[in-house]
Amino acid sequence: MKNWIQAFSVIDFISVGILLTAVAMNAFKRLESCVKIYTLNSLLLSSLIAIVALMVGEPHLYIASAATLLGKGILIPMFLRRVVRQMKVTHDVEPYINNALSLAISGVLVAVVYASLRQGIFVSGFSKNVLQISIAVILIGLFVMITRRKAITQVIGLLFMENGLFLAGFSLTYGMPIIIELGVLFDMLMGVIILGIFAVQIKRTFASSNLDNLTILKG
Amino acid sequence: MVAILLIPLVTAALCYLLKSPRGIGYASMSGAVVLSAVSLPTILSVVSFPAEMMNGMLYMDALSGYIMAMVIFLGLASALYSVSYLEHELKVHLTDILGIRRYYALLHLFIFTMLLVTVANNLALMWIAIEATTIVSALLIGLGFYKRHLAIEAAWKYIILCTVGITFALLGTFITYYASTAVMGTEGALNWTVLKGISGSLNPSTMKLAFIFILVGYGTKAGLAPMHNWLPDAHSQAPSPISALLSGILLNTAFYGVMRFVSIVEPSTGDLFTGNLLILFGLISIGLSSVFILVQDNYKRLLAYSSIEHMGIISLGVGIGGPLGIYGALLHILNHALSKPLMFLASGKIQSHYGSTRIENIRGVLSSMPLLGTLTFVGAFSLAGTPPFNIFISEFTILKAAVDKALWPVVVLFLIFVVLVFYGMLSGFGRMLFGRSGEEEEKQAKGMEDETVSEVSRFRSCGFPDVLGNAVMIVMAVCIVVLGFMVPDFLDSTIRSCVVILGIK
Repeated sequence: MKNWIQAFSVIDFISVGILLTAVAMNAFKRLESCVKIYTLNSLLLSSLIAIVALMVGEPHLYIASAATLLGKGILIPMFLRRVVRQMKVTHDVEPYINNALSLAISGVLVAVVYASLRQGIFVSGFSKNVLQISIAVILIGLFVMITRRKAITQVIGLLFMENGLFLAGFSLTYGMPIIIELGVLFDMLMGVIILGIFAVQIKRTFASSNLDNLTILKG
Repeated sequence: MVAILLIPLVTAALCYLLKSPRGIGYASMSGAVVLSAVSLPTILSVVSFPAEMMNGMLYMDALSGYIMAMVIFLGLASALYSVSYLEHELKVHLTDILGIRRYYALLHLFIFTMLLVTVANNLALMWIAIEATTIVSALLIGLGFYKRHLAIEAAWKYIILCTVGITFALLGTFITYYASTAVMGTEGALNWTVLKGISGSLNPSTMKLAFIFILVGYGTKAGLAPMHNWLPDAHSQAPSPISALLSGILLNTAFYGVMRFVSIVEPSTGDLFTGNLLILFGLISIGLSSVFILVQDNYKRLLAYSSIEHMGIISLGVGIGGPLGIYGALLHILNHALSKPLMFLASGKIQSHYGSTRIENIRGVLSSMPLLGTLTFVGAFSLAGTPPFNIFISEFTILKAAVDKALWPVVVLFLIFVVLVFYGMLSGFGRMLFGRSGEEEEKQAKGMEDETVSEVSRFRSCGFPDVLGNAVMIVMAVCIVVLGFMVPDFLDSTIRSCVVILGIK
């Protein structure tokens, strides 16, 4: 099994899949598609952790993989779909800059990350590429957050950042001790739920989930 | 130590289960009192003998005890103040019984999360606790009880900005873990006590990277400029007792995380790297907030900007370093944790009396409400850094540390900014405290048709009588005055042992 994983460089394939789903986030116009692409991203992350667990044979990684699957792959997407339905939003993402340009910019981001991490400050880990990919995913998540108007797309951008962060954690140190891993996951789950509640509140009080309305407080 | 963590949780559950507003108020009050009674012996003992628990996940030393004492004191203060505050809210229909139950349950959960930050030895556990404070306090700001769109806007900005910021802090924690496992394997590699022991042998360039992420991450939460945009909104829109906790201690718990990291990063990278970064962020915070304090027309936002200024001063003190700089910073944490909550609690009463948060609508607090006016007077002069109040002492200590290290540009900039803040604070609060308080002012305020006034007009009534709240504020004011003249011996020795624990050059 281990030879098989190495021979077909499965880890590289999956991590490239994670990068591609993050980039593809920029191309979608409908909120439902964004939630779907996030689900795919989380499933890939969870399977990557499972495969690494198979390779290095650390039992706590299986638990981490299962927790990721349950939290990020199932619970958060279910909740997000409910919020999208509840808000009855117009389904359009309404980016500040158009999709083609934002795709191009996220491509540039990936290139910048590869160029700046080329010397490899952290060469070890199971794959050199994974760290670079994870940093790229974090940056793309941040980019999505600052260029979208809808409250819920900001949440999805944040979630992409967190997936990238988990990936970075795994590429650096095979993850944290399991109790910490679960604590972090629980925090993120609570955070998303509360953001969802606020998004619904924003929709209710402003009759729109457009964040351009949130500009009263300044100075 | 476990009991200290359990009491707020039990109190939170109890508050949520009870059904009468008065009962909930008493439950929360007694919970806070029991918490302070139980924690006092522990805090006193850890000052000289550090304690460890659960395989080193939890750990308490003088520094944790010092911050924890402030959390518990301010928790008690806001629990006492909240009783009549919420009864007043209930009377003017700004909240209902469900809102009160949620408010108290969240208040005690909030205290729990802050206590967890202070006792966490595992740095990732500390991250979890700090993120939890964000989540709970965002709920207190936004859903707390009165649903207003400004509060929701503030809460949204707060939780989004702080979560993104703190995500970077988690990356920094991962990198620290990476650096320490390279030296010693995975066992206990994230425990501060262990890391402190091996801090000299960590890889300097890795630790530099980690520290930048940590400083940006926790710095966002601590309100350091230029990551401070959420702070004035969140602190001015939260209910007053919550603003007191947010400004007085939450910022400090985040900065406590930074201090713990400075102490393990500094031995490998050298004190210039961490020190210069902290001085830079500190000066930017003080400078930026001094400008905003000068032009501010809303007194709650003015207080929020003043928090940014004081966090900047604390960061400056840690950045200058040396025993004197750290001593000043730690003393400043305490002084700020006394003066700022006093001002927020007092401003809650001013707001409920005048029904406005704009400085121009408020005149003659001193003559119409002598007690409240005097308390505000003490708080405002203390925050402005006037002798003989407490903040002057700690600011002077930090300035002395800078002079000793011959950091002349820092000294000059610090003095200029502090003078600007002094003028801004006193002109703002001076206008509110003095002057006529007559019917015409009242009429003028009524005539104002601006949004904030119409929004808080429901809040308006002729204040609320409140023995407990006043008692809390008087105790704070007395501490401010006493600390302005002398630092008591036990406090002095506690801070000295904190300085030794941090060991920052």
